This record gives sequence, structure tokens and C-alpha cells, in this order.
Amino acid sequence: MKKRSAMRLFLVLAVSVLLCVGCAKKPASTMEEGYGSGEAAAGSGELGTPSYGAIDESAIGEGGAGADKIPGMGDDISALERVYFEFDQYTLTAEARDILARNARFLQANPGIKVIIEGHCDERGSDEYNLALGERRSRAVQSYLTSLGIPPSQMSIISYGEELPLEPGSSEEAWAKNRRAEFKQAR
Amino acid sequence: MRFFLLCLFTLILFPLSGFGFQIEVRSPGQQAIPLAVTTFVPLEGNPPAEVIREFHEVLSGDLDFSGLFRLVDPDAFLSDAGRVGLESGQVDFDQWRILGAQALIKGGVFFNGSQVTVEARLYDVLRRRLLTGQRYSGAAGDVRTMAHAFADQVLKAMTGELGPFKAKIAFISDKTGRKELYLMDVDGHAPAQLTDHRAIVLNPDFSPRSKELIFTSYKTGNPDLYRKEIYTGREARISSRKGLNIAGRYRGDGRAVALALSQDGNSEIYLIGTGGDIHKRLTRNWGIDVDPSWNPDGDKIAFVSDRLGNPHIFVLDIFSLEERRISFGGKYNATPAWSPQGDRIAFSRLEGRTFDIYTVRPDGSDERRLTFGAGNKEHPRWSPDGRFLVYSSDESGKKAIYIMRADGSGRQRISSPGGNCLHPAWSPRW
Repeated sequence: MKKRSAMRLFLVLAVSVLLCVGCAKKPASTMEEGYGSGEAAAGSGELGTPSYGAIDESAIGEGGAGADKIPGMGDDISALERVYFEFDQYTLTAEARDILARNARFLQANPGIKVIIEGHCDERGSDEYNLALGERRSRAVQSYLTSLGIPPSQMSIISYGEELPLEPGSSEEAWAKNRRAEFKQAR
Repeated sequence: MRFFLLCLFTLILFPLSGFGFQIEVRSPGQQAIPLAVTTFVPLEGNPPAEVIREFHEVLSGDLDFSGLFRLVDPDAFLSDAGRVGLESGQVDFDQWRILGAQALIKGGVFFNGSQVTVEARLYDVLRRRLLTGQRYSGAAGDVRTMAHAFADQVLKAMTGELGPFKAKIAFISDKTGRKELYLMDVDGHAPAQLTDHRAIVLNPDFSPRSKELIFTSYKTGNPDLYRKEIYTGREARISSRKGLNIAGRYRGDGRAVALALSQDGNSEIYLIGTGGDIHKRLTRNWGIDVDPSWNPDGDKIAFVSDRLGNPHIFVLDIFSLEERRISFGGKYNATPAWSPQGDRIAFSRLEGRTFDIYTVRPDGSDERRLTFGAGNKEHPRWSPDGRFLVYSSDESGKKAIYIMRADGSGRQRISSPGGNCLHPAWSPRW
């Protein structure tokens, strides 16, 4: 999984370089946490030295819906991004809604893929309350996706409260990363 | 099984000649009674010194923690400490008065090669008489249990109410890499793993009537409520409804369980039977309702609700369904635990950046803060006699289990290092 994601980083970086040559603005990251722009692609073999070589890259489509379909994806759901929440909140921020709109496009383009929406919390507070809050978060995401036209049968929800943090530790940064909803593929 | 070995207990109650001291244990600022605890004398069969030492250590530890006593330094003991005659007429009480002791514990140990018999006696030094005496028999490996049992008896002789030391603490530990359910003694001795779910196990609660626990587990992928018999190991899944089946708490009569279910789309508190059938839905509110805790009469529940915007403690009457808010400070109040005496509710509150433990009267008045300093102290649960609390704290860097007196004094860690230990519960007397 790490290798795949690293390859993805490499591809996106390469494509981004091609598209954003001369742009001062950083492209919006769609990567998972932990892969900052400073990290090398695994393929380069050199840690800490990102390869921004001017290579020629083009997407290979699987055919079909064109712009809506993310090329080369198949059953891979790693395009579905996480959304984050404020402390003790389950309301969706504007940024979360944007992310979910993108996720909705993927789900619409892949009606055969069923997902589980997981709700998570940071480690603070009652474990039981966090189980309920995590469920609120996953339900909020599911509701919003339903309102964007995703059939409820394509989604299910589960809460893990504070039990499965993404980032260990007790800093504000770690907590912010753990207050999330994320997508897993249902089997 | 230890329990059946302890069936060889022979308890012979010496006549209680009236209480030497009547004390309300939980009143703050009370005087600690000077107590001398001697190392018991070998009487027959050459009992191993290790057994005698262990009994002394466990008994002294329990009584010191109780807050009732100030232990007299054993180095100061005089010749009577080693005397074999244990009848009150044979004890030289003057020696103990010289040392300032007002209470005295002496005893003797018999050994037949495999069975240990301990005779333990508590004396009133000033009145020169026996307050309570017990005889315990069992395997040498059970001497700690005997010491805990006598500590409970000493508390009963002094205050009229048995102590809680012969009990178990259930808790969750992730030292195997997964959160599983464990059991240990009240002093942290002999932790034993009870579940092997290899998923996430949470929040155990003891049955008040039988040696069983309920807890939540993600064993089958969803947070479901399980019941487990401790000695047979048998497990049954008693609530596996869609969504959450969490925070199960037995009612005092052992015949019903309050828990939080979200099958209707929102976390609400329900009353179910011990087989899992729903008896009644108790909350009906758009907010998160979770974390129930029963009063001893079984007609009220303290719980957490965020219906006012952030989590506060409420009390609900299970018959009228009337609800009343009882926490007013702070922005995050959780994990309520109603004392077995019914007069106080413990809970945790986020103040600044950390959680601390408070207690309050069931009507919301007389709030008192019990813990201070670094670390998050959460999930308080009461001992069965209401004198002590067990809770988790991460002040050492990882979550660990601590016990303290109901006024917040005497805090000490009881869980061993290795992994995070959390969600403790104090059993009824075992």
C-alpha cells in the first residue's frame, strides 16, 4: 500500500509539475497524511530528494465517462479523501463539503463500489461519547452524500470513536488529524 | 480455581464486644488512628517466611490506603510483637500504649505442608480487648486473598461497613496490541487476560449478583454488547443491533441493563433485559445521550447528553422519564458514576486542556474537584463500599489505573506498566 501511494505521489507530482509550470501556488494535496511535499517518491530510491524531472506523462483511461472517471483506478478507492472536523463537532465545514463533492463524483462513476464511512474522534473525552460522536460524523457524511445523489445502498457507516487514531500523540496537530471521517471499501 | 480453594475457608467469628471506634470514614479531616500491624508468628508446621511476609505486606498496604489509620513503625515494636499468646488476656497492651498505638493487629500462622491457616486478631489497645478475629484456611498461594479479607473485616469492625479489598478490578489493556479485557486484584496483583477477541474490547461492568461482566466488543465488526461468565469463560452476545451497543451498565438488582443504542439513528439510552430484549427506551432527544450510571435504588440514571450544545451530566427518572441537568461548569462533562451509597456522583470534566475528576450531589449541588495536576483523569468508578474510586490517568505518559479515597487523597497507581490500561471497574466483594 505504501508503495502504491508513493507511486501515486510521484505520478501526481509529475502531472502537477507539467500542469503548473511557473505557478507559485502549491497544488491542492489529495494525498494521505504523512506524505508531505518534501517526501521522495519510492521509485526514485533517494529519500528526501523529490524527482521533479521533466518527463512526459499522460493518463491512460479505462474508457467511459471521461472527465468524471479517475484514470487507472478500477476498484481502488484511494481517491476518496478524508474529511476533518472541529473539536466536539460533527457539522461539515465548507472544505469538507468540497471534498465530499469530489468523492460523490467518484462514487457516482463507480456505482459498483460500496463504501463504509468510518467516523473517528481525537483521544480526548469519554470513549463512549466519542463512539456516539464518531457515528454522528459518519452519518453527517452519509447524509450529505445522499443529498448529492449517492444511493444509500452504496454506503454504510460505522464509528470507531477514539479507538483508531491515524496519528498517535497528544498534540493539537495529531488531534486535528484524528477528528475525521474516512472511506473504506465494503467487502 | 481459587474461589473453590477458598471454600476451605473456615471463618470463626469471635464475639464483637461493641465497636471500639465509630467513625464516618468519608468525613474529611478526620483523625487517623495509630495502628500497629505485627508480622504474624509461626505457630505450627514451619510456615514459609515468604507467606507470613506477604500477608503482612498486603494487610498493611490495604489498611494504610484506607485512610483510617496511621501505621506505627514496625522498627519500634517491642517484645510483645513476637509473643505467641494471642488471647487478649495474654497481650501486653501497655507495650503498645507506650508506642502510641490505639489499635493492634496480631496473628498466628499454621502450616501442614500445603494448607496455610491464618488466625488474625484486631484489638482495641485502650480498652484491652479483642474487636474482631478471623481464621482463614487455604493454599499458600491464596494468602493475599486472606489478607484482603481481613482488611475488609478490620474496616467493618471500625466503621460498621466491610471494606472492598477482597474484590477484583476489571479493565481494558492494549498490551497485546489490541484492546482486551483483563482482571486484577485491587492492589494490581495478578492481572489475567479474559478475552481474546483481537478487535477492540471496551468498558466492562460487573454483574452485581453473579461472577459475570458485560462489555462492548468489535469482534464481529460492529460495536456489540457481550456478556461473559468469568469462571466458565462462556460468552454471549446480548445486543447486536445496528449501530452502537455501548456503555452497558447493570442495574443494582442485576436484572436489567442500561446501555446506549443508536439503532434509531441517534445515540439514546435504553433499558434491556440481561438477555438483550428491549424493555424501554429512556431518552428521546436529538442530542447524543450516552454513558448511563444507575443509582443504588435502580430508579434513576445519571448520563451524558450534548443536547445543550456540549456534553453535560443529566439525571433521568426511569419511570417518569423526567430529566434534570446536574453539571453546570466546564464545557465537557462525561463518564458519570453514581456512588453505591447514592449520595454522590463522580464524573470527569475538561478544564483547560485536561480532564479531572469531580463529585457532586445528585441534585447538582456541592460540586468538589478531586484530582489536580498533569494528565487526564477519567472514567471514575466507585468501590462497592463507596469509600474509594478507581480511575484511569495518563499522567505517566500512558493510560494507567489508579485508586484513591473518595476525598481525592491517597492516589496510587495499581496497574503494571506495559500498554495502556483504561476503563476500570471495581467488582462487588468477590
